[in-house]
Amino acid sequence: MTITNTYNRDLPATDNVAGTVLSLKNIVKTFGKFVALDNVSFDLKHGEVHALLGENGAGKSTLMNVVCGLYTADSGTILHYDKPILIKSPNDAHNLGVGMVHQHYKLVKPFTALENIQLENGTGPYKASLDRLNAKAVEVSERIGFTVGLHTPVGQLSISEQQRVEILKVLTADAKIIILDEPTAVLTDSESDNLFTAMRSLAASGCSVVFVTHKLREALTFADRITVMRNGITVDTVLPKNMDANVLANLIVGESVVESPKRSKVVTTPKIMIDRLSMADINGVQVISDLSFNVSSGEIYGIAGVGGNGQNELVSILSGLLRADVGTIELDGYGNIEAAKPIELRNYGVACIHSDRASHGLANDLNVDENFAISGVLAGEFGKLVVQRRRARAAAAQAIQDFDVRGVRSQGQKAGLLSGGNAQKLVIAREFSRLPKIVVAHSPCRGLDVRASSAVHEHLLAARDRGGAVILISEDLDEVMLMSDRIGVMSRGSIIAEFEVPADRNKIGKAMAGNA
Amino acid sequence: MSKRNQALVICGGLGIGLLVSAVTLMFVGISAPDLLNEFIFSIFTSSRSINAVLALAAPLTIVGLSAAIGFKARFWNIGIEGQVIFGAIGATLIATYDVGPEQFRIYLMASMAMLFGMAWMILPLFLSVKLRVNEIISTLLLNYVAFNFLLHLLYGPWKDPETFFPNSKIYEKSERLNNVMGLEINVSVVIALVFVVLMTWLLSLSRFGYILKFVYANSNMAKSIGINVVLMVSIAALISGALSGLAGFTISAGIDSRLTQGFFIGYGFLGILIGFLARNNPILVVIFALMMAILMVAGQSLQVFYQIPFAMIQLIQAIIVICVAASEFFIQHRINIIK
Repeated sequence: MTITNTYNRDLPATDNVAGTVLSLKNIVKTFGKFVALDNVSFDLKHGEVHALLGENGAGKSTLMNVVCGLYTADSGTILHYDKPILIKSPNDAHNLGVGMVHQHYKLVKPFTALENIQLENGTGPYKASLDRLNAKAVEVSERIGFTVGLHTPVGQLSISEQQRVEILKVLTADAKIIILDEPTAVLTDSESDNLFTAMRSLAASGCSVVFVTHKLREALTFADRITVMRNGITVDTVLPKNMDANVLANLIVGESVVESPKRSKVVTTPKIMIDRLSMADINGVQVISDLSFNVSSGEIYGIAGVGGNGQNELVSILSGLLRADVGTIELDGYGNIEAAKPIELRNYGVACIHSDRASHGLANDLNVDENFAISGVLAGEFGKLVVQRRRARAAAAQAIQDFDVRGVRSQGQKAGLLSGGNAQKLVIAREFSRLPKIVVAHSPCRGLDVRASSAVHEHLLAARDRGGAVILISEDLDEVMLMSDRIGVMSRGSIIAEFEVPADRNKIGKAMAGNA
Repeated sequence: MSKRNQALVICGGLGIGLLVSAVTLMFVGISAPDLLNEFIFSIFTSSRSINAVLALAAPLTIVGLSAAIGFKARFWNIGIEGQVIFGAIGATLIATYDVGPEQFRIYLMASMAMLFGMAWMILPLFLSVKLRVNEIISTLLLNYVAFNFLLHLLYGPWKDPETFFPNSKIYEKSERLNNVMGLEINVSVVIALVFVVLMTWLLSLSRFGYILKFVYANSNMAKSIGINVVLMVSIAALISGALSGLAGFTISAGIDSRLTQGFFIGYGFLGILIGFLARNNPILVVIFALMMAILMVAGQSLQVFYQIPFAMIQLIQAIIVICVAASEFFIQHRINIIK
C-alpha cells in the first residue's frame, strides 16, 4: 500500500480550528474476501467541514459507517480527543455525539417530522418530550436557517425537506460530529448551496461536519479540507485552495478522465416531433403544459431544468407509462404514437433509460443475465414455447463483455449486487443491444462516478452516431452542456427556451432560474 | 448459497420439525414404536392406506399449485376454499342434471369445475386490478359467501331426494373418478400429476414464467420494459381459480362421490401452506402435499386408536411450518460467531 503525500500542506492556524476531535488510525474492514478498507487513516478537526471524496465503491461510506457504529472495524484505532475508544454499536456513536445522515433516509413516512425526531431522540414522558424536542428543533432550525414543516407528515415533504428532518434529528440529539452521506445526490444546485451554508454555520458554532461526495465542485467550494479515497485507501488529505480540479480528479481516479464535447457530424431529418403536449396530474395541476420540441436523427437534444418541472412526467409519457391529455407525438414512419403502450414503443425502436434504476431499470432480486435477457424473451428471440436459457445466458455474457459491465462474479449473481455504474451499464446493454432509433435518457449518470459517467456518455454518443435521436434529460447542467447538440430548457412543464451549441451557460442558467 | 445447500438447510428444518413433532406426540402418550408404526409401516404396507393418502394428496397437490401460481404473481389467493366449493358446484351441476352424453360427462364435470372456480375469481380480480381492493380481504370474504351459497343449494334444490340429508344425490358410476385400470390408484392422482407437469412448464420453462418473475420482482420495471402487468396477474389469478375449482371436482368426484357440506374444509389453509413450503415450485408441491396427506391419514388413525384430539394434528402441521420457515433465515443470512 502506498500513500502519496505530494499535496499535503500544513493547516493554517485559524481561530476556530482547535484540536482533533476524531482520529481514525489504520482501520481495516473486510467483507469476506473483499477488503473494503485497507489501513485507512482519517482525522477530523474541531469546527471544520471535511469532504470525503472518491469514486463509487472507494470505501467512503464504509469508513463513515465504522464511525457511526453500523460496522465494526476488523482492526485499527479510533481516538476521540486523543482518547482511544471503542464504537461497537450506533448507541456508542450516539453517546459520543456522532450523528449520521444516511444516503437513503431512515424516516417513517406517515409520521410528522417532529414525531420522527421524537422516535429517535425521545426521552421521558411522551408529551413533555415532544414539547421539549419541538422547542429545540425550532431553535436549531432558526439558528442555521432551516425551514421545515415540523407538523407535516414526512411523506408529504419534498426530498430536500426530508433531508432537513434527518439533519434536525441529528442536531436535536446534540451531535458534535455530523456525517452526511452523499447529501446532494437528490438535491438541486440551489438546495445544495443552502445545505452547505447551513453546514458552514454549524461548523462555526463548534460542530465538525464530514460530507461524503463524489462531486469535485462541492468538495472544492465548501470544504475546509478534502480527504480523497480510492480502492479502500486514503490517497491524500488536501486543502481546496491549493488544488485545482484536474489534479483532484487525478487523485480520485488515479488517471485523468476529462471529457470534451463531441458534436454531431450529421444531423438529418426530424425523427420525433412532440407538439403541444399537456397533462394534468390527479390534483388537476398542469404538470406538462404546451410542450413542443423536435429531435432529428444524429442529434442529442439536451433538456436542462430544475428537477420537478415535469421531467418525470415527460419521460413517463415518452415511454408509454402515462398518457398526455392533449397533444401529439409524431414518430417518423409510425405516425402519432401518443397512445402507444410501452411494448409497442419498444417495437418501434424507442429505448428509455429511467432516472430511477432501482425501480424502473432492473429487477434487483433477479439474476444479471435474466435482467439482460428479458428484452429478448419478450420479443420471442429465445424460443416461443420454452425459453432457451443457455442461449439467453450466452447472449447476456456477450453483452456484459461488450458493454464492459464489471463486478459480475458469477452467472447467477443478482443484479442488485452490482454497483451503481455497472447496474446502469447493464440497463444500457439491454436497451442498446436492440440498436434503438430513439433514446430517452433521464439523468443517466445520477449517482455515478466520473469514469462510469463517461462510459455512459460514450454509449449515448454511439447511439447518436448510429443515426439515433437522443433525448437527454438532466438536472446536471454541466452534463447537458457537454453532451448536447441542441439544448432546451424545461420549466413548469414546457420548453421555454432553446439554445444552439455552443451555448452561453449563464443564459441557460438564467432561463432555468427565471421560471423555476 | 448453492441450490444444494439450500435444499439441505430446508431438509434440516423439516427434520427438526418432525423430531419436535414426534417428541410432542410422545409426551401425550404415544410410544415411539407406535408412532413409527402409524406414520411409516401402516401407511406404506397397506394398499388401502396408500390409496387413501394418494386420494388426499391429489387435491392437496392441485390446491398447492393454485396457491403457488397466485403467489408467483403476488396475487395472494386466500379464497381457495371458495373456489374449491364453486368448482364442486360446477361439477355437481353437470352430474345432477345429467348434462351431455354419459361417456363424456366426467370430462364435462372437470371443465365445468375449472370454469366455475375461475368465475369465482373474477370479482376479486376485477376489484384488485381496477379499484385496488386488496385481494387478501376480498378472496377471504368470498369464502363465506361461497359456503353459504353451498348450504343454500344443499338445504334447498339439491337436497338428496332419497334420504333428505343436506347433501347432493350420489354421483352415478360414470360421474366418479375411479381407480386407474388394473391399479388401486385413483384417477385424480393422474390428473394432479398432469397438472404438475403443465405447471412446471408454465412456471419454470415457458416465456410466461420468465416474464412473471419480473412481475413479481419489480412490477414498475416490468411495466417500463413493456410487460402488460395487469394481463399477467389476471392470467395467473384465473389459472389459480381454475386449479382450485379442479381440486373441488377431484374431492367430490374422487373421494366423496357427492357434494357435501364440509368437503372443502382445510383445503384453503393447506393449499397456502403447501405452496409456501414448496416455495412455489410445482415439483416440491407434490412432495409437501404427500407429506401433508400422510400426516392427515395417520392423524385420523391416531384420533381413533389413541384418542388424540384433532388439534394435535394441527399443532404438528404448525410446528413443521415454523421449522421450515425458520430455516429460510439460514438461507438468507450467514452466521459468523465472533468471540
